[in-house]
Amino acid sequence: MVWLPILLPVVGAASVALLRRHRSWLGPVAVASLVGGLVASMTAAVSGPVAAWSWGGGIELVLSVEGPGRVMVVLVPLVAVPVVGFAAASLRHDPALARLLGLMTGFVAAMELLVVAADFLTLLIGWELVGVASWALIGHDWRDPARPMSAKEAFVTTRFGDMGLYVAAGAALAAAGSFRFSDLARASDPQWLSMVAAGVVLAAAAKSAQLPFSPWLFSAMAGPTPVSALLHSATMVAAGAYALIRLQPILSAVGWFGPVVVGLGLVTSLAGGVVAFAQIDFKRALAGSTSAQYGLMLVATGAGFTAAGMGQLTAHAFFKALLFLGAGIALHTAGTLDLGSLRLGSTLPRVAVLFAVGAASLAAVPPLGGAFTKETVLAAAFEAGTWVGAGTAVAGLLSALYASRLQLLGYGRGPVITVATPPHRVEMGALGLLAGLGIALGALWLPGGEEFVAEVGAGALAVGEPWELGVSVASIAVAFGVVWLLWRRDRLVGWAVPEAVRLVLADWWGIPTVARALVVDPALRLSSGLARGDRSVIDAVVGGVAVGADRFSHRLRRTVESAVDRLVHLIGGGTLRTADLSGRVDDGGVDGAVEGIAGGIGFAGEQSRRPQTGMTHHYYALLTVGAVFAVIVAAVWR
Amino acid sequence: MLSIAVFVPLAAAAALLAFPRDRPRLVRWTAVGVSFVPLAIVAAAWARFEGGNGFELVESLPWIPSIGVTYQVGLDGVSLPLVGLTAFLFTVSVVFPADLRDRARQYYAAFLFLEGVSLGLFLALDLILFFVFFDLSLVGMYFLIAIWGHGDAHRSALKFFLYTLVGSLALLLGILGIYLNSGEPRTFDMIEIIRTQPLPVSGIVPALIFGAIAFGFAVKTPLVPFHTWLPPAHVDAPAPASAILAGVLLKMGTYGFVRILLQMMPATFDRFAFPIGVIAVVSIIYGALVAMAQTNLKRLVAYTSVNHMGYVILGVAVAATVDGTAAARSIALTGATVEMVAHGLITGALFLLTGSVLARGQTYDIDQYGGLAARAPALTGATMLAAFASLGLPGLAGFVAEFQIFAGALGVYPWLAATGLLGLVITAALFLRMLQRVFLGPLPEKWDGWTDLGRWELAALVPALAMVVIIGVAPAWLVNVIESASRVMTGG
Repeated sequence: MVWLPILLPVVGAASVALLRRHRSWLGPVAVASLVGGLVASMTAAVSGPVAAWSWGGGIELVLSVEGPGRVMVVLVPLVAVPVVGFAAASLRHDPALARLLGLMTGFVAAMELLVVAADFLTLLIGWELVGVASWALIGHDWRDPARPMSAKEAFVTTRFGDMGLYVAAGAALAAAGSFRFSDLARASDPQWLSMVAAGVVLAAAAKSAQLPFSPWLFSAMAGPTPVSALLHSATMVAAGAYALIRLQPILSAVGWFGPVVVGLGLVTSLAGGVVAFAQIDFKRALAGSTSAQYGLMLVATGAGFTAAGMGQLTAHAFFKALLFLGAGIALHTAGTLDLGSLRLGSTLPRVAVLFAVGAASLAAVPPLGGAFTKETVLAAAFEAGTWVGAGTAVAGLLSALYASRLQLLGYGRGPVITVATPPHRVEMGALGLLAGLGIALGALWLPGGEEFVAEVGAGALAVGEPWELGVSVASIAVAFGVVWLLWRRDRLVGWAVPEAVRLVLADWWGIPTVARALVVDPALRLSSGLARGDRSVIDAVVGGVAVGADRFSHRLRRTVESAVDRLVHLIGGGTLRTADLSGRVDDGGVDGAVEGIAGGIGFAGEQSRRPQTGMTHHYYALLTVGAVFAVIVAAVWR
Repeated sequence: MLSIAVFVPLAAAAALLAFPRDRPRLVRWTAVGVSFVPLAIVAAAWARFEGGNGFELVESLPWIPSIGVTYQVGLDGVSLPLVGLTAFLFTVSVVFPADLRDRARQYYAAFLFLEGVSLGLFLALDLILFFVFFDLSLVGMYFLIAIWGHGDAHRSALKFFLYTLVGSLALLLGILGIYLNSGEPRTFDMIEIIRTQPLPVSGIVPALIFGAIAFGFAVKTPLVPFHTWLPPAHVDAPAPASAILAGVLLKMGTYGFVRILLQMMPATFDRFAFPIGVIAVVSIIYGALVAMAQTNLKRLVAYTSVNHMGYVILGVAVAATVDGTAAARSIALTGATVEMVAHGLITGALFLLTGSVLARGQTYDIDQYGGLAARAPALTGATMLAAFASLGLPGLAGFVAEFQIFAGALGVYPWLAATGLLGLVITAALFLRMLQRVFLGPLPEKWDGWTDLGRWELAALVPALAMVVIIGVAPAWLVNVIESASRVMTGG
């Protein structure tokens, strides 16, 4: 049943909403529904079910668990279970806990819909529902006016990308006569296919926080930490990379698709790595690394090795959720996310160890799963070209740099502080589960691991040369060494560049400032300028036309009146006795009508200057004139 | 059967005026009861509707046979949903509480009169009958705004009346143009004109006729730059009248584009399809941008109507483009018609909600509000749902429409449609901004006593919003009916 992984979380969300007064039930109900969804998704991943929902007009929403969707459909609830459990424990005193858990559960449902989509319409539906769930979750603490504003920024940025999926859907319809992925695969028109690719790349870049959209993840930080954990790992941000992985077999027919995706991913992973290393806000540093890691997935996918991309996505989901939850505990314990004042390793040694598993996975230290997947990405990059491979190796070096920096600054040895409320055992369990998953993924190093990834990821996997692994391990060692030296000299927070430069780099190389100056402010100025012009120009023109018509009608009225007078005199005098009857009707009718209209307009003009009089019976007269006019013209011209 | 839906409200409107003056509750309940009659008839019509090739349930009586005017009503896949929307929205608006100013009889009489007239317009299959209802709708709305409005209501009502009257005079000239070219014998019979396609396809005459009618409907719809009557009319109208004005009366313009221009002069429409598409996209972007700058809650919603009517006309223009594929044209026209229904429900609900805000806060000034979610979860939730529907969120009615319009338009005018998509981004920004400034953030002290939606407000809003969700989640029942007509109209 392809519906169950979606519907069970929906039922969970609805139940949480209904049970909102029974606070102790909320967490268990939400998690239970996700566990149910997880079991259903595992069944679906094995059986690969297909279903359709009629939309009318011959359009169907097609849902199918296939290809990389088999992994993804399981991954989403698998990560969501510990994260939502953590949220239930961590925010157990939040009065709006029910809303938070309900939305998080619904968030998972929307993501599952996106994952099983087999056509562009269904994909777009899931895509935007994920977006709106993010909006609501980011703005969770809505009484603080800054948070809804951040939520809006995040939503509007990603919605700009959503336009791409509209474009893709329209182009697919034009190319293949349907929205289905499988029909598009058979379509031949290169131009429409190119447009589909352009749309999908735009949408994916925005969702997966690639350049130039990356800064929206900073806005998304306004949400509670468990929301970030879910949003960065298996939902929302993951949707972009997943869509590219899912559609790569079709879109690779477009010549520019591969190179553009590789280039986008590589540039973002390098730039994002620098951001992560320069940030002094714990969550923002993690956000920079998220863009960078998704960049690596794009490199592999663009190079044609989708299984490598899918593997990296999976490993990233486990360790990034873990790292964010760790950051959440840090915030809870120290009351700040400032990397300069945490060093909680001595205070929370067990958390520090679990966090280290995540950081080591991020740094790609063998034999963790994250290291295996990163090696496959590196191999894919070298297949795409030596320079791409070299760039990816540098990105890997950056990962090791910022991962070890986060470990030391966040959970390195420091003063022991007294903790008011130590981490709840459910919170610790969630961390442990995610760390365990990251370690278990290390089994891929065993013989047969590569075949397994290619098989399960339903795509190609590049086989790395032994020297590539050597390069990776060496660069990790160098990175750790550099970070260790900086740590010893107490330069790790600000490191070696001037503070002004570091601030710009940390703020996504100044992109938000540029975007505000080039896009947001001009749009707002245009908006208010048009609003002023709407009253002062367009409405004024309309008013001017009315006044002009008024004057004209007065003149016309005088002329017509005297003409009619003369005509009446002529008729009365009997000099037109020989005139044809229809001729008279014509003149009288048409003239009369013109006069009526002229009179009406004249009256209307006067009225519009003296609206308060409101002699409404005149409007009936005016209407009657209109109707009479119609009948007369019809009768005469017959 | 259909005539009952037109004449029962009209007769009831007259009868209400004879009711005793001091029984406002009796008047209200009578009006509510009467408003269910057209609803029942629509339900019956929907059940009997076959979706074949042409008009169904046609009723015809000679009226002025000497000049080819007949009383003729009937429906097809485009008019049936609009008739349904009209009946539904009138019931909702009559139920919604209003400030009656001690004139209950006149208020409900005006509403029922307007309901009969509106239903008559969408059912009319004779051009003169259509025109009569078109003009009478102005009268009904004029009174509703002028008498039960607020602010500078007289002026706004008059502006609305005169502006759209100019439009309707242009429409009348166009209708006469069609009549004069309708073959021998000349006729106003719409079925006949659609069947025989008597109008010349080239030359200046059809262009002039098209121009006159398009101008008339562009004012009513309204399209930029003929929209300036709309914001003051809405701002000063009572909430239920605004809901009807946006939900039903604007549709008369877009419906006219489909029924008269697209169906009676398709070749001429094809000649002008691209420029009209451009005007539509200008309306989309312009309406959204101007809405974003508004600090008056109701003006903001009013301008989003300009934006949404742009989507509708874009869909119709795409459908009129002969070069496009049948699949793209049909889906665009289906989307345009769904948009008429969706916008009616969504914006109707939004206007009712602005009425609820005004009744409690006495101002539309957005800056005066904030944090209302703390005191009024139902009001907040309803507004959020309606706002998200309006910005085209999937799972709600607006998306069904906008997706189909753009999916079709992209295949015919790719660059134009891609530009129009920006409207979706801007509406998202403006609605989220509005929600944030009115409902989120800290609650100003003066609104500590703010009350949530009352019983009758909920009785009106819940069905309307439920319909928005139903259409959004399971649109097949609606889309199939519309598609039966749009397929025929686009030759698919």
